[in-house]
Amino acid sequence: MARAVRRSDTITLGTAAAVLYLPLLVLVVFSFNASPLMAFPLTGFSLRWYAALAGNAAFLHGLLTSLLVAQPVGFLAMVVGLAAALALTAPRLPWRIAFLALVLLPFLVPKSVLAIAQAMLLSLIGWDRGAVTLILAQALVAAPFATVLVAAMLLRFDHRLTEAARDLGATPWKSFRFVMLPHLKGALGGAYSVGVILSLADLTIATFLSGRTQPLSLIVASEFRRELRPDINAMQVVVLVLTALVIGTGQLGRLLRRRRLFPVPLTDQAVALRAGFEETSGRPSKAARC
Amino acid sequence: MTLPPRLRREHLAVPVALLFGLGSLAPIVVLAVLSVFRVDDFDLVPAVSARTWIELAGTPIYAVLIGKALLSGAATAVSTALMGYPIALALRRLPPSLKGPALVVLLTPLYTGEVVRIYAWRVTLGAEGLVNSALQALGLTQSPLTFLLFSPFTTGLVLAYNNAPFMILSLWVAAETVEPRLIEAARDLGARPLDAFFRIVFPLTLPGLAAGVFTVFTLAAGEMLTPSLLGGTSGATAMALIENLFGTAFDWPMASALALALLAALFAVAAAGAALVLLSRSARAVLWRAP
Repeated sequence: MARAVRRSDTITLGTAAAVLYLPLLVLVVFSFNASPLMAFPLTGFSLRWYAALAGNAAFLHGLLTSLLVAQPVGFLAMVVGLAAALALTAPRLPWRIAFLALVLLPFLVPKSVLAIAQAMLLSLIGWDRGAVTLILAQALVAAPFATVLVAAMLLRFDHRLTEAARDLGATPWKSFRFVMLPHLKGALGGAYSVGVILSLADLTIATFLSGRTQPLSLIVASEFRRELRPDINAMQVVVLVLTALVIGTGQLGRLLRRRRLFPVPLTDQAVALRAGFEETSGRPSKAARC
Repeated sequence: MTLPPRLRREHLAVPVALLFGLGSLAPIVVLAVLSVFRVDDFDLVPAVSARTWIELAGTPIYAVLIGKALLSGAATAVSTALMGYPIALALRRLPPSLKGPALVVLLTPLYTGEVVRIYAWRVTLGAEGLVNSALQALGLTQSPLTFLLFSPFTTGLVLAYNNAPFMILSLWVAAETVEPRLIEAARDLGARPLDAFFRIVFPLTLPGLAAGVFTVFTLAAGEMLTPSLLGGTSGATAMALIENLFGTAFDWPMASALALALLAALFAVAAAGAALVLLSRSARAVLWRAP
């Protein structure tokens, strides 16, 4: 039963959302404005700044670089986040607080200090800076976010499910793979998206660790230090749309999964029992995959 | 025959700790080592020298810049907390079906790129930007307000904008755990809404506030791009100086010493602040109550 939303709450949240989106809205509006001057009043709708982008080789190259860098960052953040979250929520982990502090360190140390220190370390051991170092450094900064996402899901996971699977003869790996992992799908997708998004959003790390690799944020930053140009508006809107797509896909996936996972209560338990049963009977288990 | 010890979940902590140690602890150790090196003709010489630390302690500008970073972090933490409470409490009262979407809407701007945000604020706050045009069109001001862009005001505003989501999130998580019946009981017994807030909600959300303050403080105090690209002449920060010493001046020992001093000051202040909050009677009551 839905309660009515209080008027004062609507106003609070509405104002907050308006302020949060105001600068982005201004950006979008000017990217469609015909005049090369970014001033009010607006002079008419035009797509010329987007047309200009299509012929801008530096922009296209930067965009491609950013997208190619973002994928491995997402993957690494997801894998490291899963491992870190599994360890963090393990019942018998000694030194849990110290481990948590270590995992959160890349988030809490200012990114610029960390990136400069990493650049110094790389130079001391004679490792060239480039795409690989950029990917590793961005994945490290995304990993704390990924860990928290996966750990939050693990804390809610009902451990009787894996116990049931084990009692019914599943190996530890199989109970993880077929009972626990399907529950973490959403969180893992979220972890991957966070890695991609943070990589696309990053400028600080790229400034110090990208070497000769030039992601889009670096190209844009060097352009707009000099002047504001309307085609940069269009560039930024393209990046915004890409980010929105990543977030939107994640949300959609979650919505669809929820619909499939909870049509009837007890499905989770039933799935686990079936998986465990099929393990003992020696048949390949597909049950828990749904 | 003895079986090898079974691998368990907690054993994953070893490779993960190794990875994070190499990625984030080792660079900080490098800072400490480099800070006592010397530079001769643009070459790092591994000789122990206390030059950088003596210079750091003896030159007031370093202390001033570090103090400025701490101040900007503290100001951002306070302003985001003031904004964050009404938002977190409003989120708490939403019906469950609306909570997810509301959260996505409020957190999405966090995901936009650093460049996008800084650039968008320049367009919004400039002499011919949205805010000035609107003010003039309404007849509230005659000429553009120049303090809107490239001033300490801009830095403060954008730092608050950038970090508000972290504060909102931790306050909201804490606010969700407050038992609604406690607030209802207080109201039934005659407490006005503000009384109920300060005597029930605020003490019970102190752990969340501590987490938010700790996070926002360290993030805002260590930020370099926003002050240098939007702060105008006020934009000189400890971070910008570190970057300069690292890149242009090639004085890595000095850059390392300053970076370490900044880190130490940040964590000392943040930890002290969080500890102060967490050791208060009500926070202890929340944290150590029986599960």
